[in-house]
Amino acid sequence: MDTWLEFARGPLFRLSFGVMMLGLLRVLLLDLYGAWEAYRRAGDKTLPWGYIIRRTLVWFFPINKVFKGRPFYSICSILFHIGLILVPVLLFAHIQLWQSGVGISWPALPKPVADWLTISTIVFALALLIGRSFSRTSSFLSRKQDYLWPLLLLLPFVTGYVCANMSVGASTYQVTMLIHILSGELIFILLPFTKIAHCILLPFSQFVSCVAWRFPADTDDAVCTTLNKKGAPV
Amino acid sequence: MNRVDVFKSVLWTLTGLAVATAITRFIFGLGAVSNLSDSTPWGIWKGLNVVPGIALAAGGFVVTAVIYVLKREEFHRYAKVAVLIAFLGYLSAATALVVELGLPWLVWQPVIYWQFHSALFEVSWCVMLYLGVLLLEFLPVPLEETSWFAGLRRFLTKYKLVLVFLGIMISCLHQSSLGTLFLITPEKLHPLWYSALLPIEFLVSAIAVGPLVVILGVLVICYMYRKEADRKTLSKLAYLGFIVTVIYGLIRFIDLGVNGKLPTIFDGSWQSTVFLIEIALMLVIPIVLLGIRKLRYSQAGLAIACFSAVIGLGLDRANIAGVMLQVPGSHYYPTIYEVFVSLGIVAGAIIVFLFCVEHFKIWDVKWKDPRERAEYCPKFGLASDVWLGSPGVTERVKYSLIFVLSFALGFALMPQDRIESKGVEEITVQKARGGDTLFIDGNLDAFGTLFDHARHVDNLGQKESCIRCHHMNVPLDKESGCWECHSSMYTATDIFRHDWHASPNGAAIACDVCHEPPQERQKASAKKCRDCHVDLYADSTADTLDTYLAMSYVDAMHILCVDCHRWLASADTTRAALAQCPTCHTGSQPDYLKADMRGELRRPAPNHVMMPPAVLQVKEE
Repeated sequence: MDTWLEFARGPLFRLSFGVMMLGLLRVLLLDLYGAWEAYRRAGDKTLPWGYIIRRTLVWFFPINKVFKGRPFYSICSILFHIGLILVPVLLFAHIQLWQSGVGISWPALPKPVADWLTISTIVFALALLIGRSFSRTSSFLSRKQDYLWPLLLLLPFVTGYVCANMSVGASTYQVTMLIHILSGELIFILLPFTKIAHCILLPFSQFVSCVAWRFPADTDDAVCTTLNKKGAPV
Repeated sequence: MNRVDVFKSVLWTLTGLAVATAITRFIFGLGAVSNLSDSTPWGIWKGLNVVPGIALAAGGFVVTAVIYVLKREEFHRYAKVAVLIAFLGYLSAATALVVELGLPWLVWQPVIYWQFHSALFEVSWCVMLYLGVLLLEFLPVPLEETSWFAGLRRFLTKYKLVLVFLGIMISCLHQSSLGTLFLITPEKLHPLWYSALLPIEFLVSAIAVGPLVVILGVLVICYMYRKEADRKTLSKLAYLGFIVTVIYGLIRFIDLGVNGKLPTIFDGSWQSTVFLIEIALMLVIPIVLLGIRKLRYSQAGLAIACFSAVIGLGLDRANIAGVMLQVPGSHYYPTIYEVFVSLGIVAGAIIVFLFCVEHFKIWDVKWKDPRERAEYCPKFGLASDVWLGSPGVTERVKYSLIFVLSFALGFALMPQDRIESKGVEEITVQKARGGDTLFIDGNLDAFGTLFDHARHVDNLGQKESCIRCHHMNVPLDKESGCWECHSSMYTATDIFRHDWHASPNGAAIACDVCHEPPQERQKASAKKCRDCHVDLYADSTADTLDTYLAMSYVDAMHILCVDCHRWLASADTTRAALAQCPTCHTGSQPDYLKADMRGELRRPAPNHVMMPPAVLQVKEE
């Protein structure tokens, strides 16, 4: 068990962390490069910057979405995201690991705040999952990974809470900690290749889609040629 | 997958591994990834990347000299390839140097602070200048693709000749001065390689092989992109290399003969075997293949000759800059991580080379024209039926993924123990041996310190004095030896071992026992050692420790002994010698050790401190 923990904390952590960081950078660069190429080819080169920035901010801080349509779901989602992002990054124990490993550190959340945020993340993740399963419109749109992701995200939070707050025996602690680390690393590895990549793509999504929906001047003809219908009216 | 795809995938994999290693090196230092040490500071990064890399990049100035000085216009179509190869060769050498030296933000210092006595001073100046000249020489090619900087492009094209001549001058200067560098190592470098003519040999061999590198590059590119190589022109260029190779062979062997070193070639040592292999690759095979006209004009003959010469020259430079530089007492062997960086830098340079070949007018026409509108003829990859997009998009998606995965794999493979050690070798301390007279020799190199334990007990006050040295105990022990806690020779030891206390295989203590809830579980709020262990401190009034790291054995011994000796020496002027190094570090091994051992004792390790005989005699009590 000691060896497994050591392996999960050492090589496996570096592997998954490397995949996550560079993988996210990769999808971001590919995204932006694609947008730039689309822009280069587009016939109309004017971009509605004000509109793009406004839309980005609206989606980034979905305050006005909260009370329209599905208030409960929206509030759950926002609170879930707050804990999901803040706790892993600002947890004292995690920062200590960075401090002892690489020698860098940053301010941590006070322990009660971190604990309550963890609990809120767990609760709201479950609420979101239940909402998705029992709402007909949501479940109609959902894929398998949409149900699996909340469960996978819950794993490190639950195990982390157990390790940090509960009085468990030494061997239970080790098993829980191993699950905590391994599930976290699985999330790291899957992150850039699944929908969770929106964590880095979201700020640019409005810009990219705005740029992408512009076509080169001769697109109509090119489409017709490809479909073997040259000269057909579009 | 076609040839280019396979080749590029391998290159991106190597680059990923190298970048992971380089990042680890910059965060955790040289010792984390390399076997370089104070006694062997030159590893394969200098021996395989820098010195051979610069020699193999000589094609740039040789080919431009042939075109613009000898006015051989027929080689003009290879000018850009030659300059590009030279530029990338230098760039990769400079990159390797930066990875090895570290502190890349201080790279400007030799420009401002001149160190006239350093052979490397001139080399660094030349490399920087020539790298700049090559960049300016090549810059018009990528600038052709864009309408930006048109003025700059016109300017550079107009004054091309100035750049070409600058390049030739600087190259000649520092190809030879790289040889000059090794003139300072006559007693280290093996006689078959050391010569007073090293500067000339370096210059001539670089001129000989430079064009052959360009030819090899052209042949490989033609093979990969399935194009027909212009063999006639290439063979003419190779003939030039042939002539200079013959001249180089004559210089080298006449020099060996005049200095009476010829018999050394056949003395059967491994060095002589390496020498023969080097000569065969660098001189015999190219001279035979390029000397016979029919073989020179055949693709296989040309390719083998160039390849052999390139490998031979690389071997020659690697021998001079590393393998045959014998430093007494050092045993250097590169780590796999050093190999990653070495290969990865070359791979990165080749990726840039292929990029330039595909996107710029390196030849008369671009080989991969983006205006072919490939996006209108979808083609599925062999491995899957997923449509990734046009070839450009597919390449981007595929190679970036390969890079990310190999980077992460490389990062995972980094040696944990070396990262944690921060490059200091961990030596477990062996306990001091002997009875009343202890021989303190933590690393067992037979050069330790003789410590008269019985006399110290007598002089310092019998039983009550134990505590002056034995300040702490291992649990359930009394008067524990120094080595039990200070158990590493040069690094601090964690004597608390948190994970052992928490492990079910160790003390199996639950977190709450030491970290009482609801506080944050950290050192400050944890229980102190003496809250559980009553017998840790020999003196009940002693302060609790504020750290769980025991200092290194060397530090612990020095502080313990030296502090007391200093105090005694300052209290009594007749005992001033007590505070001096030779009082404990005598110049030779103690007699009783020699008497107790059969045969010769080991020589001291290279890092051992040897003291001159004591100037002041220690006065007996």
